Amino acid sequence: MMKKQSSTKTMNPGVYFLINYAVPTIFTILVAFAIPLSRLSGDYFVRELMIRLSRNSFLILALLIPVMAGMGMNFGIVLGAMAGEIGLIFITDWQIIGISGFLLAILVSTPIAILFGYFAGIVLNRAKGREMVTGFMVAFFMNGIYQLIVLYGMGNIIPISNTNILLPRGYGIRNAISLLGIRQVLDKLIPLEIGGILIPVATFIVIATLCVFMVWFRKTKLGQDMRTVGQDNEVARISGINVEKTRVLSIVISTVLACYGQIIFLQNIGTMNTYNSHEQVGVFAIAALLVGGASVAKASILNVFIGVILFHTMFVVSPRAGKELMGQAQLGEYFRVFVSYGVIAFSLALYAWRKRVEKENERKKVMDYRKSILVK
Amino acid sequence: MKEKIKSIINSVGLPRIIIFFFLVSLFVLAPFVGIFLDTSLNDVIVRFGMNGLLVLSLVPMVKSGCGLNFGLQLGIIAGLLGALTSIEMEMIGFTGFFTAIGIAIFFAVILGFLYGTLLNKIKGDEMVVATYVGFSTVSLMCIFWLILPFRSPNMIWAYGGSGLRTTISTQDYWFHVLTDFFKINIGSHIVFPTGTILFFALLTFLLWAFFRTKMGAAMTAVGSNPAYAKSCGVNVNKMRIVSVILSTVIAAIGIIVYQESFGFIQLYMAPLYMAFPAIAALLLGGASVRKASIKNVIIGVFLFQGILTMTPSVVNNIIQSDMSETIRIIVSNGMIVYALTRKIERAR
Amino acid sequence: MRKRIIIRIALIAVLILIGIFLYTTGQEHTVLIDNKNIIVNDNTYNTSTVYKVWVDNQEIGVIEKDKRMVATVTGVSHKIVIEAISNQVLSGEKHERIFKFKNNEGAVINIPAMINSLNEWINKTK
Repeated sequence: MMKKQSSTKTMNPGVYFLINYAVPTIFTILVAFAIPLSRLSGDYFVRELMIRLSRNSFLILALLIPVMAGMGMNFGIVLGAMAGEIGLIFITDWQIIGISGFLLAILVSTPIAILFGYFAGIVLNRAKGREMVTGFMVAFFMNGIYQLIVLYGMGNIIPISNTNILLPRGYGIRNAISLLGIRQVLDKLIPLEIGGILIPVATFIVIATLCVFMVWFRKTKLGQDMRTVGQDNEVARISGINVEKTRVLSIVISTVLACYGQIIFLQNIGTMNTYNSHEQVGVFAIAALLVGGASVAKASILNVFIGVILFHTMFVVSPRAGKELMGQAQLGEYFRVFVSYGVIAFSLALYAWRKRVEKENERKKVMDYRKSILVK
Repeated sequence: MKEKIKSIINSVGLPRIIIFFFLVSLFVLAPFVGIFLDTSLNDVIVRFGMNGLLVLSLVPMVKSGCGLNFGLQLGIIAGLLGALTSIEMEMIGFTGFFTAIGIAIFFAVILGFLYGTLLNKIKGDEMVVATYVGFSTVSLMCIFWLILPFRSPNMIWAYGGSGLRTTISTQDYWFHVLTDFFKINIGSHIVFPTGTILFFALLTFLLWAFFRTKMGAAMTAVGSNPAYAKSCGVNVNKMRIVSVILSTVIAAIGIIVYQESFGFIQLYMAPLYMAFPAIAALLLGGASVRKASIKNVIIGVFLFQGILTMTPSVVNNIIQSDMSETIRIIVSNGMIVYALTRKIERAR
Repeated sequence: MRKRIIIRIALIAVLILIGIFLYTTGQEHTVLIDNKNIIVNDNTYNTSTVYKVWVDNQEIGVIEKDKRMVATVTGVSHKIVIEAISNQVLSGEKHERIFKFKNNEGAVINIPAMINSLNEWINKTK
């Protein structure tokens, strides 16, 4: 007696698509409404989108590896961002400019990022099953450590000679420091102008290289190990993979990439808010990735780019739409913060709910199978 | 003897011991750097009354197995709505205070119910989702603060601006009604906030009594052993929702007490991170993700507020600078990280 | 095992060298140029006229008498060229010097001293 087994595969493909891609679909609809509402020109859009693509993609790409290793959304990329900022503080102090400054910042901040990433990885290993909350809290905690270093240590224990960046009291870095020396240094490295819009060729090449690297990485032994760990810890352990070490490594790589991503981000902007620049990095990057259709268990390069385009369009459009709709741009700004948080809440809830439903279905299948055997 | 010390350290947790001794050393140092011990103690007691209820609100949800309530903001928003409505209705004194609480409870029950239903659908992943539900609700309310039709001149922007102000003073309404209730003056520096402490004690007692009732016992069972609870005929989902509503209601009352003592209603993004200090305090008092008791609340709030009060004054006088914010970040978030990384005591 | 450690140390050494290279070639230095009277060994050398200034083949500007000018340069080795201006026309009288920076240095260049071929034409700071 064969019992008809219902699985998601036999579901109406339209419904299947909607459930799996609920977030990007809703988002696209939202954005489609908001764009005409904001009355922004297409020209402006293209330029803004290109800048934002070049500026943010690297950071979001850094999130992919922990997902592969089953660590979920790595809120710890904030630690990488902090490492990058410390590097930038140093090169600003030493007054190194141009592409040399950019490269030196990367060089100097890499060991810091590795250290931070290692710390985060170890902590996350001790919180298996709760990685995302813990990662989230570790980011907040490290913010305190960062302040300890930058607001109290620098100028004191850590020698800083450039008084321009120090606070009037003699130690501690100012709230905002100018990165004029390396401003757009990567963007303008290979200059290309089309129709008056500057295209950051070098930055895009760097991003493309990272994408190629990701694809290659998945095929390496380490990449395969990570995917196995991500699928099932026990299976991985039995296959002889050092699960703990692999997980830590995934976080370390992610943190280092995030560090570079933040440096790329800041070189485009040209100024650094010493204490605020990294705060929203985690939230916005993760929200963008989720908007692009990724989930806690699966994220691809396509998700990254779709996510950046959708999320940042919403970002650009919201204040203006808010102004046109209700007369207050402030409304639009709150709206986009709400959307950022809301997207994450919704995606995570959806994912958790689906996980439970699947577990229930599995259990039911096993029970039904047992029952059917008994009947025989 | 050494074994005994080791086991105590393991069960209490090294960070807590470190923080306890840190606090004691601060108290010892204080007179030497010119801080009056009595004012400090007074400060700690006042802050204890201010924050105690918010931390207390976390207990029902931990007991019922919903984990640490990272979505505390929902209860806070209910409380804010109650406070605002009470002021809009021009109620003052104790009437105003209790009206605020009444309305807040109304909203808290609704929000708690919705929140609890959501949590039931995602058992096991409550904490992350709760955090972001809390954040998105606070941001959503920002939009509402701008457009809700409040009219009281004390609350909206002057000169015809629209929307509520960022901070609203409770000065003329029910500021310090509790604190000054039967306040006791000791010496020239100390004002014991009898009212606040009494109120806190009252609610604590009520909660303690609740957990001794049948429903309370059922709730605890749901948290520690859901399978057993189910076999006893307890509706696990219903109990969880009740615990969430209870937590939200207490939080709503808690924020009103906080505002009564602090003197201001803080809107917009202010409540965003308010869950974290409360959770840190609870954890500091000995609770964990799965276990919390009223004892944890009392110890935790005292330690936490003690650190928050003493560190700035003492450290600032020694180092001549204001490190309080940074220390607060490190201590409160560090505690939460520590609690999250402890081995789970009993498998679900 | 030992081979791995050696390779790692070599790699780190290479990175450090790259770092030093980037540091030296990428550092920005401030050059102050004075067209002011200067006293060296009890002799006063006066500024006589207006000059046009180039640093590293880039025109910085025209410096009047008793004035100071600022230029920023990147890296180690630089060249300064000045040409006198008389009657508002370039006179063709050029002077040229090469100067080098070490890490964290700035320089003050004095034009009269430079014209008179004194050793004190450049003064390194910090």
